Parts: sequence; structure tokens; C-alpha cells
Amino acid sequence: MAEEVKPNRPPVDPNSARYKLDAIIKKHYQEVWEAKERGEKIGWCASNFPQEIFQTLGIKVCYPENQAAAIAARGGGQRLCEIAEGEGYSNDICAYARISLAYSKIKDAPEQNMPMPDFVLCCSNICNCMIKWYENLAKTLNIPMIFIDIPFNPDYTVSDAQVEYVKAQFYDAIRQLEEITGKKWDEEKFKEVMAISNRTSRAWLEATSYCRYKPSPLNGFDLLNHMAVAVCARGTVEAAEAFETLVEEYKKAVAEGTSTYRGEQKHRIMFEGIACWPHLRTTFTALKNRGINMVATIYADAFGFIYDDFDGLIRAYCTVPNAMNLELSRDKRINIAKRNGAEGILVHVNRSCKLWSGFMNEMSRQIGEACEIPVTSFDGDQADPRNFSAAQYETRVQALAEIMEANKGGM
Amino acid sequence: MAVQELLARFHDIAGKPGKQKEAYLKAGKKVVLCAPVYTPEEIVHAMGAVPMGAWGADTELQLSKKFFPAFICSVMQSILELGMRGTYDGASAIIIPSLCDSLKCLGENWKYAVPSIPFIPMVYPQNRASEAGRTFVKAGYRRVIDTLEKLLGTTYDDAALKKSIEIYNEHNAVMREVAALLAEHPEIGAAARSDIFKSAMFMLKEEHTALVKELIKELKNSPAGEPKVKVLISGIIADSPSLNSIFDDLGLQIVADDVAAQSRQYRTDAPDAETALESLAMKFCMMGNCSVLFDKDKKRADLIVETAKKTGARGVIILLTKFCDPEEFDYVIIKKCCDEAGIPTTLVEVDRQMVNYEQARTIIETFKEVIT
Repeated sequence: MAEEVKPNRPPVDPNSARYKLDAIIKKHYQEVWEAKERGEKIGWCASNFPQEIFQTLGIKVCYPENQAAAIAARGGGQRLCEIAEGEGYSNDICAYARISLAYSKIKDAPEQNMPMPDFVLCCSNICNCMIKWYENLAKTLNIPMIFIDIPFNPDYTVSDAQVEYVKAQFYDAIRQLEEITGKKWDEEKFKEVMAISNRTSRAWLEATSYCRYKPSPLNGFDLLNHMAVAVCARGTVEAAEAFETLVEEYKKAVAEGTSTYRGEQKHRIMFEGIACWPHLRTTFTALKNRGINMVATIYADAFGFIYDDFDGLIRAYCTVPNAMNLELSRDKRINIAKRNGAEGILVHVNRSCKLWSGFMNEMSRQIGEACEIPVTSFDGDQADPRNFSAAQYETRVQALAEIMEANKGGM
Repeated sequence: MAVQELLARFHDIAGKPGKQKEAYLKAGKKVVLCAPVYTPEEIVHAMGAVPMGAWGADTELQLSKKFFPAFICSVMQSILELGMRGTYDGASAIIIPSLCDSLKCLGENWKYAVPSIPFIPMVYPQNRASEAGRTFVKAGYRRVIDTLEKLLGTTYDDAALKKSIEIYNEHNAVMREVAALLAEHPEIGAAARSDIFKSAMFMLKEEHTALVKELIKELKNSPAGEPKVKVLISGIIADSPSLNSIFDDLGLQIVADDVAAQSRQYRTDAPDAETALESLAMKFCMMGNCSVLFDKDKKRADLIVETAKKTGARGVIILLTKFCDPEEFDYVIIKKCCDEAGIPTTLVEVDRQMVNYEQARTIIETFKEVIT
């Protein structure tokens, strides 16, 4: 969700997907700043809050999760975490939340600034931690909190009762936002936004599906950068077009046998969990040095929302990765791993994310067994650099590479 | 029974939940485990089984490590550990609400770690003020009822639930009464206070109510002991004998608590409603002032300040369960609110795996000096 800092980049082709995707992110932040300067009410928003609501209303928001990832990737994670800890927040709390709460106090981080909110939009389909984080933002900034509660679903399918509960909150959120911003809901615009969002999601999912080719036309870590657009601009035509360009590029690369992954792709893995943003280069390099490419991750699919109608939209938001039970989460991953030919699984035991890590041991065991591939894990954190050991990571990746090599009869 | 005898009885029950479970099973009762924080015990009770609290125990974690990473709170870890060790054997099911991220994981892990005791999820809404929220609570209760009917072989009956609700409301009332009365009796220490609350988890509520009523009667006829330094405690659990002995050794009296395993359980009664199930759903929707229940205004912090003032507490001791992020987020707001009200606070991290309480003792001792 954030860009890795790469010094001395060559100029990027303005017709390329990468150029377009980067431009969307820049425009996204710029638009929120401009709206704020015009005196419009702007919000901070949870990444899986139904974006169709504020896109339809024409309300500008920015994403604390994207900001925290960007700050962490650019080296500011520890500084902001420590500011939050100085305020009394435990260092066991999610580092995205700590960074965001610290930013709400200092209101300036050169790694990634964004305007202060007039309201926050929270959705619990990612985790309950999000509720607490946004409660504290709303309380300390003394601003309204609009909250759509999408509970963790312990069942394999979404119940009608849950759909009705979420739907009622969807309408309530619209009403609250209309009151706060003075903007009005338009059903026709909503239909249009739903259509664009589906178009974007289809293109995003199609692009990520190119990982199935051998060799893969893309370096899997590219997806981590592109994902920011899937999060913050799903309801825009620009995002749909940029991902469609990406699909064309991957199609061409497959035909020509090229890839954005430089070097031989010896091994294909599924990467489980959020990226280790403060150590992106280290985590990538250890894989790269062994010819390992990431070809599967549930995180890519997390922002591909496909639906036919309003009920479908609600069900899609009820079925995001962290809201699913172990069995559905497992089966979705098994499908991805098998479809994309993953030969091993590397699990990020993410100190920041209790929900993602809390039943990962059992689930990854089951995925490994079902796919008959090795599983290894490493300790890390999505944004606090202190919770990662490069030596441990190196050793674990080495072990995984050796097993994958042995499985191919190479040892 | 005299006060000391009653306290010994509470102590025995609080310290030996296994004995209680075996006795109920021997008497032909079925036992259903109720995980933290708010489980619809009334439904279990109405369906003829004994709801028994499963809040883990102070124990070394070994087996649970196969499932949980180290940074999940020890309440969840030790519940799973006890399940895997066979401590809960004989129970017909466990109900686990998904009110925090670690509870969600406990439920998912439980299915594979302890397959002999079926897992019943209870999904609560966080947006509780609306009709949609209340309807969703009822759907969650229905799901629990359907599963219990299969597992217990009994049938749900709304009239039976009404009776159980009456029993639970009465129990709530006596627990509130005893908590208030204990504030006037400094001679009843923190350990005994904890036993009175903890024993409620392992008894049928009508039996616990009867015992607590006896204690109330005896206490009303007993002279109050020498005054101690009054404090309010807040947290998830406060049942560690080592921790409670620090309060008792230092002459601190807990005059009120905001502890999830203690008073938070008893603040809200089920109101009258058309059906008993509706009444129970309304009860959940009326609850608040708790770290695992959505509260954008953080009224919990105000309640702590108000209670501290009302009870004359000289300070607030936050017993923060390590790795409990809902409590960790609230702590910052609670501290700020208490600071603004001029009420001193201190933070003590607690953990079900703690063996050395020296640091806690030093913190509490220093705090006592500050507030006296």
C-alpha cells in the first residue's frame, strides 16, 4: 500500500500502468487537500469501509492505514510509534493505529502528510482493533465517528440476518454523512459508482491473476505498491483504466516471456500477511537472492469487490479476509495457492495484527497439508521496525528455499 | 453462617471450579462453558444446563502455544490451554462471543484444539442502539439456542427464559448490593472480595444469590473494621491471589471496581419486554461502559471518575491485562479523564502467567504513598 523508496529512478513511461497508478495516488491526496482548502468536510476512512457511500456522495476521504504504511515504508514508523507510546499507548497496540494516533497529535509527518479529518469512517470488517483506534481518534479530535459494524462471521456463508444488520447501518451512515456534509444521496450516481467499482475490481483481480503464469510476468511485490490504488480509488474510472492497462502489460509480458521480476524465477511462494513495510527491501532481497517470487497472496484479493446488486455489495464487504472463519479463509487460500502454483508458504506472524496472526498457525498448517507444500513463518510487524529480525528472516527463508529445492529433487 | 464461614465457602468455590463442575455433572446436570465477556448465560440456564465461566487460569502455557502466537492475551491462551489439558472435560459445549479480535481467534482455534467440546459462536453487534442491532442480537441468540437444543437435547421455552432472567436480574441486584456494602467493610480484603465475585462463575446463580444474601445479612449486623486506603480498580480480571495479597498487605481497600469479570457483569438488568428473548436482547443493547463494547463517547472513563468520586476512592489502579488491546486503547482516555478530574491513577500490567509480583508490589506501594 505504499511505495518503496528507490533512489535514482529512471523516468517512467506516462502511458504505463505504473505511471498511471502513481498519478492516482498523488491525485488522491491532492484532491483531499484541495477539498479541505475549499472548506469541504473531509474524513479519515478505514480501508474496507464501503467506499461506494462517499464516492456517491462526492465526499473526499483519506486512509490512515495507507498513510501509516507509507510512513513506515519511508522510515518514520518508529518515530511515530514512540510518540504514541509517549501518550500512553502500549507498544503492543497495532502499529498502524499507533502511527495514526501519533499523527493526530503532531499533525505533521514529512513521509506522508494528509489533512486533518472533520469526521472518521470506521468499519469493523478488518478487526475490532479498528473500532478502538477510531473511537480514540474521534474522542481526542472531538469529531463525529460514523461506524459500520460488520462482525467477524464464524460461519462459512453470510447469513441474511447479518446482511440486514449491515444494510441498515449502510443507510444510517448515508444519513449521518448527509447531515455532516450537506451533500445529498443520488441513487443514479450510486449505480454508476457500483458499476465503476466492479470494473476496477475485475481489472485488479485479473491483473493479480497473472501471477499464475510460469514464469510470472510480475514481481509479486509490485502488487503491494499497486494495492494502494485498489484501496483508495476503487470507485474511479482512472483506477479502472490503470488496472486495465496493467492487465494489458501483463498479457504482453506473458506473450513475450518477460517479467518485472528480474532474474530467474526458481521458486514460487504464497506470502501470508501484511507486508513488513519498514523492512520491505530486506524482506524482498532475501527472496530475490534465492530466486523466489511471490505469486500468491490473499491480500491482493482483499480489495477486489465483485457484486451484482446492493445485497451482493453488502455480502462482499462481509467476506473480506479478516471477517471470515478459518475454513473459508483456508479454502480461499488453498484455491489461490493451487491456481497460482505456489510451492511454499511464507507466513508473516505480524505482531501488529492479533486477528490475522491469532489462528494463522492452524490455518497455515491445514493449507500446507492440503497443497502438500512447506510452510514457514517469521516474526515481524507491518509498521514497527523494532519487531523484526533480519537474521531470523534470512534463516527462515533459507530453510524454505532448501525444502522447495529438495521437493524438486535439487538436493 | 458467620461472615468468616461464608467467606471460606466463597473461597473454596472460587478456588476449585473443577470440583463444582464434577458435582454438577454427578447430579446429572449438563455444563456449558461461557467464555468472556458477555455470554447469554440466561439461555443456557433456561435450557436446563449449568453455565460455567471459562476465563482461564493462572497457569503455565504449553499446549496452547501450538495455536496462539505469544502476543495474544493470557486469558485466551489459558482458556485454550485448559481445554487442551482436559480440565473442561465433561462440558457439553463452550460459547465464545466474538467481542474482541483474540476472542474470534479463540473460537477458530478451539474447533481444532479441543474438538471434544463443541464451539458455539455468539456474534454480537457493536452498533447496539438501533432496532437493526437488537434484531441481530436476537438472531445470534437463536443460533445459540438451535445449537444448544441439539447438544443438550432440551427444548427452548420463552417462559423458562423469563424465569431465568428473573433469577439473573436478582443476582445482579445482590451483586451490586454486596459490592456497595463491601465498600463499608474494610475488614473484608481484596482476596475475599475477589472470591465473592469469582465464585459466581461456577455456581447456578440462584445458589450464589442465596449465599450472597446470607453474607449481606451478616455484614449488615457486623461492625465495620478499621478504615483503609480506598481505591478503585479497573481491568479485565482481578482474581490473582498474589495480586490481591498485595492490596491486603498494604492496607488498600477496593471500594469499587470496573473489572470485566466482576462488576461489569452486573450493571445491566434485562428489562420487561414482550418476549423473554427480546428482553435479553435489550439487556445487551443497553450495556456499555466496557472496552469491548463500541462507545464513541468513551463514557466508561466518565463512569470511572464518577464512581471514584462517589465511593471516596483516593485513586484508580488500572490492572491492564497484557496484550488486551481494547483495554490498552481505553487506558489513555481513562488516564486523561482521571487526570482532569484530579484523581490519581497508576498502571499495573497483569498476566495469567505472572509469577513474580515484586514489580506490581512496588508500583502499588508507591501509589499508596502518593494518594495518602
